[in-house]
Amino acid sequence: MKKIIRLTVNGEPVEAAVAQNQTLVQFLREDLGLTGTKHGCGLGDCGACTVILDGKAVNSCLVLAIQANGSEVLTIEGLAENGKLHPLQQAFVDKGAIQCGFCTPGMILSAKALLEEKPNPTELEIRTALSGNLCRCTGYQKIVEAIDDAAKVMSGREES
Amino acid sequence: MLLPNFEYIEPTTLEEALRLLSDMGGNARVIAGGTDLLVRMKLKIEKPSQLISLRKVPGLNQVIKRETHGVSIGPAVTAADLARNEFIRDKFAPLATAAGKLGAPVIRNRATIGGNLVNGRPAADFPPACMVFDAILKLKSATNEREILVGEFFRGPGETIIEPNELLVGIFMETPAPWTGGSYIKLGARKALEISMVNVAVMLTLQEPLGPIVDVKIALGAVAPTPVRAFAAEQYLMGRHPSEKVFSEAGAIGVGMCHPITDHRGTMEYRCLMIETLTSRALNLAYQNALAWKP
Ligand SMILES: Cc1cc2nc3c(=O)[nH]c(=O)nc-3n(C[C@H](O)[C@H](O)[C@H](O)COP(=O)(O)OP(=O)(O)OC[C@H]3O[C@@H](n4cnc5c(N)ncnc54)[C@H](O)[C@@H]3O)c2cc1C
Ligand code: FES
Ligand code: FES
Repeated sequence: MKKIIRLTVNGEPVEAAVAQNQTLVQFLREDLGLTGTKHGCGLGDCGACTVILDGKAVNSCLVLAIQANGSEVLTIEGLAENGKLHPLQQAFVDKGAIQCGFCTPGMILSAKALLEEKPNPTELEIRTALSGNLCRCTGYQKIVEAIDDAAKVMSGREES
Repeated sequence: MLLPNFEYIEPTTLEEALRLLSDMGGNARVIAGGTDLLVRMKLKIEKPSQLISLRKVPGLNQVIKRETHGVSIGPAVTAADLARNEFIRDKFAPLATAAGKLGAPVIRNRATIGGNLVNGRPAADFPPACMVFDAILKLKSATNEREILVGEFFRGPGETIIEPNELLVGIFMETPAPWTGGSYIKLGARKALEISMVNVAVMLTLQEPLGPIVDVKIALGAVAPTPVRAFAAEQYLMGRHPSEKVFSEAGAIGVGMCHPITDHRGTMEYRCLMIETLTSRALNLAYQNALAWKP
């Protein structure tokens, strides 16, 4: 039996009927068509499905859609404003921190949650924040550098 | 990875949650963070017909400093919240450290202390940290209530004494005496998202800054089917003056009660060596922290 949930996704109110065994990542991708959030392992290991739920980065493959009832969800589609990329997205592009791109949305959302708590993170803090997000392509170095660059831009220490 | 079918229920009071648990019999499961249960359901290891969520049950996700010298931790408090709680970091440091080493940030934001204890995994992070404080677990059913010492809670890999109709509703710990220090060391092949190869928690109390050891507790995870206290090593240390030599002797004694396994994470021999080294290292660290004790 489906149940009705109401939540906010990328600032927009959403009301939908979901199956009780539907995960949040399935709901975002299949029902809302927000395919920026990736479905990798489904078991909490890879972080490709990372979204921000009520201000916290979580694996959306381990959250039921119905558990997000009443919550605020931010996905990669909600970062750009008025057609302008978010500084994190811009830094990933500029630094070449994206290869196949499968890990990128999750990486950027984990990074965003970090920068909200710690606007000027150390390299170790960046690496710790990303420790639940796997990348099979880049070797991580450029990702870490991109986040460091974005942190500087966002805290006004450097011009974009 | 798809989930099997089930009914999801969100009780809004503790009474309702307990009643549901006793009405549903063994077919219902409690869901807290879901980081363990949903994985097991996806892997078809478990197939509950109902999930009873703790999300709307009030009061289960709070850390409360008690009037009378101690702390009460709700079972639904997340690892992330424990890792950053100032009071826990100050007085129950091994618990805060263990919380900060569990999984990765994305896991810690959901994973709860209650789910971790009830899981009963031999390598889990919270059990040793709770054991060095002799935490008391409060279990409640619709008709009954009991308090269990955490050391008596674990029965075997994935097995605890909790009954299907019971809910873990609180975790209580006494604030340690003055001149107490603690430590927690987790050894894994990498720093994150790793099930421990060996984990050690220590709590050590000095009579006075340069005095002898008057209380010490050592708990080890991943070294036997359940987390264990190193009682023999604790006994050896009682009344002795701290020194590197005494601590390494205690480490050697500590290995005695362990029955580690060989698996892809490490061999039995390697684990024994690590138990010895990490126990003495954890004791040293706890001692340094005891010297730095502040009211
Ligand atoms: C990628 C990944 C990495 C992980 N890394 C670690 C790690 O490093 N260290 C570690 O220790 N664990 C780790 N885990 C396991 C898991 O995250 C933890 O054990 C977590 O603390 C479980 O809490 P939860 O709230 O998610 O439990 P849930 O999955 O919600 O529940 C777990 C079990 O406990 C029961 N339960 C939960 N709360 C209660 C309650 N109050 N009363 C009665 N029963 C209850 C449930 O019915 C279920 O059987 C990891 C898991 C994943 C997916
Ligand atoms: S898909 Fe969620 S962690 Fe891999
Ligand atoms: S860019 Fe391919 S997985 Fe990270």
